[in-house]
Amino acid sequence: MSLWLLVDPHLWQQTLVYAAPLIIAALGELIIERSGVLNIGIEGMMLVAAVTCFVVTWQTRSAAAGIVAGMGAAAILTLLLVYYAVALGGPQITVGLGLYVLGVGLSSLLFRVVFGVRTSPPSVQTLAPVPLPGLADLPVVGHVFFHQTLLTYLAFLLVPLVHLALFRTPWGLRLRATGENPRSVDALGISVERLRYGAAAVGGLLIGLGGAYLPIVLTGTFSDNMTAGRGWLALMLVIFGRWMPFTALGGALLFAYVEAFQFKAGIVEKAVPVQFLLMLPYLFALVVLVRIYRGARAPQALAVPYDREARG
Amino acid sequence: MAERVHMSGIGKRFGETVALAGVDFTAARGEIHGLLGENGAGKTTLMNVLSGLYRADRGQIAIDGVAAAISAPSDALRHGIGMVHQHVELIPTFSALENVLLGREGGRLWLRPERHREDIEALAARFGLALDLDVEVRRLAVGVQQKVEILRSLYRGVGILILDEPTTMLTPQEVDTLFGTLRAMADQGLTVVFITHKIREILANCDRVTVMRGGLQVATLARAEMDEGRLIELMIGERLQSSSPIAQASSGDVVLDVRDLAVQGERGRPVLADCTFRVGAGEVVGVAGVAGNGQRELADALAGALRPAGGRILLGGRDVTAASVRTRIAAGLVVIPEDRIADGLLPGLSVAENLVLGLHPFAFGGGLSFDRGRARALAREAIAEYAIRARSEDAMAVELSGGNIQKVLVARAMAQARAVGGRLLVATNPTRGLDVRATEFVRRRCLAFAEAGGGVLLFSEDLDELRQLCHRIVVMFRGAIVADFRRERFDPYAIGRLMAGAANPAAP
Repeated sequence: MSLWLLVDPHLWQQTLVYAAPLIIAALGELIIERSGVLNIGIEGMMLVAAVTCFVVTWQTRSAAAGIVAGMGAAAILTLLLVYYAVALGGPQITVGLGLYVLGVGLSSLLFRVVFGVRTSPPSVQTLAPVPLPGLADLPVVGHVFFHQTLLTYLAFLLVPLVHLALFRTPWGLRLRATGENPRSVDALGISVERLRYGAAAVGGLLIGLGGAYLPIVLTGTFSDNMTAGRGWLALMLVIFGRWMPFTALGGALLFAYVEAFQFKAGIVEKAVPVQFLLMLPYLFALVVLVRIYRGARAPQALAVPYDREARG
Repeated sequence: MAERVHMSGIGKRFGETVALAGVDFTAARGEIHGLLGENGAGKTTLMNVLSGLYRADRGQIAIDGVAAAISAPSDALRHGIGMVHQHVELIPTFSALENVLLGREGGRLWLRPERHREDIEALAARFGLALDLDVEVRRLAVGVQQKVEILRSLYRGVGILILDEPTTMLTPQEVDTLFGTLRAMADQGLTVVFITHKIREILANCDRVTVMRGGLQVATLARAEMDEGRLIELMIGERLQSSSPIAQASSGDVVLDVRDLAVQGERGRPVLADCTFRVGAGEVVGVAGVAGNGQRELADALAGALRPAGGRILLGGRDVTAASVRTRIAAGLVVIPEDRIADGLLPGLSVAENLVLGLHPFAFGGGLSFDRGRARALAREAIAEYAIRARSEDAMAVELSGGNIQKVLVARAMAQARAVGGRLLVATNPTRGLDVRATEFVRRRCLAFAEAGGGVLLFSEDLDELRQLCHRIVVMFRGAIVADFRRERFDPYAIGRLMAGAANPAAP
């Protein structure tokens, strides 16, 4: 296989396309986890966002409406999780897994309710790339970075925004404090519940955006299980990034590169079985995680329900 | 004196347990008010009600003579009430400055910690709280973390500051500094409520004291009315003989000889390095040190729960460095672990089953069978001998109170010692959280072990306890034994200095 494939500008351009939904969803998850809630149902939530986005876009012929609807759908699910976790003090892993399974089923069901069973799936127009004037004409760099869709640009813009929100605002300080020691935050007269609901809403909108990205940028259609593990990857990226936005971005680019490479290699190199190539990103994830997980420091109160009157 | 806090008829239950049965409490402006009582007397619960963490079932609170409805910490803060909890409630990954600012950041959109630095530094200076604001809190010593908490309350402008057992983990020097700060606060018109079970601290520092027992307020005394005997009597409801003086250590064999012991922690960082010391037969050796300086690792390495990276452990002359736990038990090692619930027993099993754990290879004639009848017979003996309050030997361990759980652990240790010939007892904070009677009981048993010719290695956070019980005290700092004091040279300040990391002037 030609090594030139690895540095092909088109491969790099595609890397950014595939990294975008991963990083958006990972940022959403990161915000929720920083508040001390573990959202393990992210894969299902992205699926529900994807189908909602697709259906609404199909009905209204407006991609913007579809994206907003998808974001809202995911946010409802994250708020539901936090309701269970915060108001009822329920086990977050169990509820999260339940929401995952619910999301998988619900997304397929919604699609069939609207479109019935078809042999050729309906499709919508995907977002067109918007070359940035001036920058798009730069050699190589212009093609890689500045021939992208608006959503892709937004994804990368979100990374510094989330970073600033977390580390440079009072809200971020309180959010991070809640994830570390909710009792301390409560004792200072700040509502732990409000912070966690807030984080769930913001995080849910982002997770929804990541899910909506799939039909509206990548495929133009919806298919069962189309997230194909991207939610789980986003979950893992948060750990990989050690709960920091920029490190998570690094991870997203790494995985997206392997994912883009797999598509590219599938076309160019017929000798390699496609199933093997499909496996690559996940295999890569496994190997990287084993190395990274050692010494990673999660928010101390992650997945622990907060009860003010708990003794001890 | 102007009355600042007035609580009357405060009641609080947790499920079936009555924690507060109608308590009255008052504190005045400009005083340090001690709140004295045994564990479980309701001191912390009462103050948690005042600070809004717990909601009282009944009773009234008035602040400066005006009725106050306090149902959440934010209400308490509005009334100028702040509390420093027993376990530091800070965000470990934040700097001291960020911890102080949290919740009162000032500014709407952006965080600008630098703008408030001067105010906070001035405040710290006013109350004698010297600290570096830029260090991550988890890298600070416990005593300094406590200063951050006090500063955080002061920054919120509290007029009433409650401290829950603030001296537990401090060196004597740090305790002095703390009381200096508290006195400065009282002199400037604040009300300080100081929760403790240590009578000496009350006598030395408090203007008034309220004594609680069994969820009730039993007395409030002014400074002139306080004396040790009276406070003890009020606290436990009867006169009690204080601990028996310890016997001379028999200068005989060495039961434990630890040489250059080293243990690697996470990421290869040494948590124990060049640990060398001995325990003689009939000797009680105390290990003093600020928590987290390798005491836990040393105890675990001795028990066989941690594999040393280097060095040797000789138990009764026999090398057990790499031996299994069972071999160690057979060689005469007996352990009372630090965390009674997590490491000490199996909460879901019966008292009888718990009592026979560790003893089982020896109690049933070496066979594989579990002789339930024999286990229950042993348990009945132990329950009678140690006055363990349990429904029966079949009661689940989790049903017992903390003091009775500790008695089970002591009974088990002593039964093991009896079965195999106990040589060394390793006990970590064996009296923590126990009431006066249970404490006395556990201490006597430990001393009896030494009198019978065994060696005792006692890890304790309570320096007073070590000074009372031990023939020698060794000091641990950053994973090494840095000093060895004989009983006639026990000086809490000298020991405290070494615990805090000062070089040992007496070292060769």
